[in-house]
Amino acid sequence: MGNKELLNELLIAWEETYKKGQLTFWIFLSLKEGKKYVDEIKTFVEEESNHSMTCESQSLYRNLRKFQHVGVVDFETGEGNKGPERKYYFLTELGNALLNAFIERNIKLFYNEKIKHLLNKED
Amino acid sequence: MKHLTKNLISFAIFFVIGGLIFRYGLSHFLENRMLSMVWVLATIYFLYNFGIGWYFGKRDSESLPLFDIGFRFHFTTFLLFNIISEVWHYFGLLSVYENYQTNRLIAIYWGIGLLIHFVFYVIAQKNTIKGISKDDMFD
Repeated sequence: MGNKELLNELLIAWEETYKKGQLTFWIFLSLKEGKKYVDEIKTFVEEESNHSMTCESQSLYRNLRKFQHVGVVDFETGEGNKGPERKYYFLTELGNALLNAFIERNIKLFYNEKIKHLLNKED
Repeated sequence: MKHLTKNLISFAIFFVIGGLIFRYGLSHFLENRMLSMVWVLATIYFLYNFGIGWYFGKRDSESLPLFDIGFRFHFTTFLLFNIISEVWHYFGLLSVYENYQTNRLIAIYWGIGLLIHFVFYVIAQKNTIKGISKDDMFD
């Protein structure tokens, strides 16, 4: 196996592990932007992650039901586009607090000057 | 925690329908001493309940993965089966060859099994948030 192939294989394996649990973050981020129905969440996740994240609508519904059950997400029904009423999901107060705490503890680390320098450093 | 889901209610409705048919058939076959038909009926009843439990249980888990190790469905089955048995007895629908005490013994032994299941259910709840496993919450 050449180095290029090995690099690719390692990268894919790493990304597969890394992406587990990432969907929640992207869903919450899309709802932080504003109320959305499932197709809009899906579009946001895929486009804003440069298509590194993909998700099926069924998977989104399942996750949203879990989040609603624990009280971090809720929905209100609104008019659909010439179709049946849609569920517009939004973050609850608890959901917002959870996302903010998560960002504070896990994402803002990357704003640290030393880390930013390391991320931009090319060997 | 949401215990009574749509799928559990659907399961309960199908279980009651199946239970009433089974009860009627059982008393009828016993009354007429058709013992081989009792075995056939019991086998069909088992397969029917296994089928509806599997179908609605799977749908329930796909809809909302409550980590209850099957306790809600078990409890519903226990409750409805014994209510139907009691109702059958109350209205005098039991066959003369049926011993009412057997119903009581089934409820007691099954109840002990259910109690053990409940203990495991309570233990399992410690690793959940509002009934959803912490491992499944953000998967």
